[in-house]
Amino acid sequence: MKRDSALRAINKHIIICLALAGTLLPLFFGSPAKAADEYNCLMCHKHRLIGRIDENGKRWNYNVDEAIYNRSVHRKIECRDCHTNITKIPHDPITETVNCANQCHIKPPFAQEKFSHQKIIDLFNQSAHGIRSTDSEALKQAKPYCKFCHSNPLYYRISEERVAYAETLRRCFNCHPQSGVIQAYMHITHRLRKKTSRSSREIVQLCAKCHQDTALMKKLKVSATAQDAVETYNQSIHGKLVRLGSQKAANCISCHASSGLHDIYKKDDKRATIYKENLLKTCQQCHTTPTRWFVGIAVHPKAEHKENRLIFFMSIFLRLALYGAVLSMVGLMLFETFGRRRDGIKLVLRNGTTWRGQSKPGSKKGK
Amino acid sequence: MATSSETVSETIAVPAKGKAQGEEYFTYVEGVGSIPRDIYKHVQSDPLGDLPRYSVHIVIQHLLIFITFLLLVFTGLPIYFSDVFWAPVVIAFFGGIDTARLIHRIAGFTMMFAAAYHVVTIVGGTLRKIYNHEFDYKRTQIPRLKDLYDLIHDLKYFIGIEPYRPKMEKFMYKQKLHYLAIIWGSLVLIAAGSALLFPDVMARLIPGTLGKLLPQGVIGEESYSAFFQSLARLMHADEAVMALIVVAFWHWSNVHLVPGRFPMQWTYLTGRITREHQIEEHFLEYLNSLREIPEEREYMRNLLEELEIESSHAMPPADRQASSAPQDVAVPEDKP
Repeated sequence: MKRDSALRAINKHIIICLALAGTLLPLFFGSPAKAADEYNCLMCHKHRLIGRIDENGKRWNYNVDEAIYNRSVHRKIECRDCHTNITKIPHDPITETVNCANQCHIKPPFAQEKFSHQKIIDLFNQSAHGIRSTDSEALKQAKPYCKFCHSNPLYYRISEERVAYAETLRRCFNCHPQSGVIQAYMHITHRLRKKTSRSSREIVQLCAKCHQDTALMKKLKVSATAQDAVETYNQSIHGKLVRLGSQKAANCISCHASSGLHDIYKKDDKRATIYKENLLKTCQQCHTTPTRWFVGIAVHPKAEHKENRLIFFMSIFLRLALYGAVLSMVGLMLFETFGRRRDGIKLVLRNGTTWRGQSKPGSKKGK
Repeated sequence: MATSSETVSETIAVPAKGKAQGEEYFTYVEGVGSIPRDIYKHVQSDPLGDLPRYSVHIVIQHLLIFITFLLLVFTGLPIYFSDVFWAPVVIAFFGGIDTARLIHRIAGFTMMFAAAYHVVTIVGGTLRKIYNHEFDYKRTQIPRLKDLYDLIHDLKYFIGIEPYRPKMEKFMYKQKLHYLAIIWGSLVLIAAGSALLFPDVMARLIPGTLGKLLPQGVIGEESYSAFFQSLARLMHADEAVMALIVVAFWHWSNVHLVPGRFPMQWTYLTGRITREHQIEEHFLEYLNSLREIPEEREYMRNLLEELEIESSHAMPPADRQASSAPQDVAVPEDKP
């Protein structure tokens, strides 16, 4: 009788445990994410070795790994939304590049029209990097385009870190109207909630790709200060901290662009964040109480201090003082040791004395 | 009789060079005897220290500086040399650059606290000594002309011209030099470090008007606060590297590697100095120790008796008149 009730109690426990496991376990095994692939492009592009070797011997890889694409920022976009010139399968060789200003079949919240990168592209085209009719042919060639920086190939996995709410929202307003977007943001998980862009260090490396190329910069006739901008930035405290992995220190676009990130202008353009009258506001993003004197402090300092004679001579003087002090001090120390050793001192204080084997004082002293 | 003894004592007081050295070899101390200059070769010393040198406050300050200095070096140097291979490794050890900077600031403020603590100790101790009529500037770090003469004397000893080391006070020439360097370095590093930490405050404190005191054309196109910021960047890094190199190559050698201090001088923990070290490098301070510590007087008297050194050597002239005449002849013979 007693044993039966005990068994019943155990059974009850087992049933509860199984029921809990049955309800909770599926939560750990989510169904695999699926990319938008209405036209079944993956039928061919899923094959690992799909590709070709072109006339110049360059190898092209056309494989799309679904598992990785599903984690990319474009995971919800149909292939043909970007590759618009593909109308039949199997398709002809592709000659046109992708146009990021295309409208795709995603509708932003609280908007009637389809999504497009057009607004950012318009902003970018006005910036210093936008191509103008007055530009020389070499400059037109050298200027970056969307994919030059946004090189997020389908097989490239992005790291996702959470970013602050306010910072995300600031970026939302680049494209979305202010009304409604906050509400949408609060209710809908948004990809901008995660940091999918480059780290500060990667941004500096990206800008340096062209701006550190002094030969190219000279050919394009940029100003003297812009020619060594990367080098001088790397010598600044911002540059050094970013190189060591700081997330707080300013990178290139922290100062050279607003929250739009693409509105980089030359410093004599009134819209530029580094325009003389905008500098206070730009510095204010991090430095709490800047003054008009503060903004004069060199953000891109030159190590040689060539244009500042006083600092230049002081650096030479300090260097000489360093070598002089170290050499004379170490020299004196060695000299002292030499003299004391000759006088009979041993290295280690042992048995109460370092001067073992000395003759009695007062009788025959010295050496 | 009286006139002849006058002339004898005068020849001892202002004599030829050799005789003066013979005179300096023995130092007569009332109640102890005549102490030969090289008695440090025959005394017993405890490596942990025999005689008091630093108060507990100085020991605490040294420990504070010791710890914060290392922290500051390890968190600051990788930023200055950010492009070398070990910089990211050291920074990663401190948990990333943003944490390392925080540690650098905390260590900096702790070091400033230690510096302020030191100033309070020194000023308070000096005032107390003045009040008790015990203050003697010769026992302080204040530089004197004698330090220069001591340096020249010591260099001669190292070559072999002089037979003995100079008789030096509690702080010898190299310690005074190092102390002055630390004062200068601390002031520069604190001022420049504050300018780097609070650039906006610095820019308000040094407006364009203050900088106009400098001659025209020296500073160039930059504004004056920009100039001082560049100066701070230069000075903070250069002074810090200088401090590190001086500590690594000079201070550590002097307290770890030099004969008699190897493997370590324990003064920084015990606050005490070994007897042989004090007699060798701080002889005049040892005389103060003899005056102030009865046990030390007792020890030295016994040692002199054991070594059979007559106390009549180098007695003051007044005592010498009373003592036997041949004594004056015996002194030059003691010369090497």
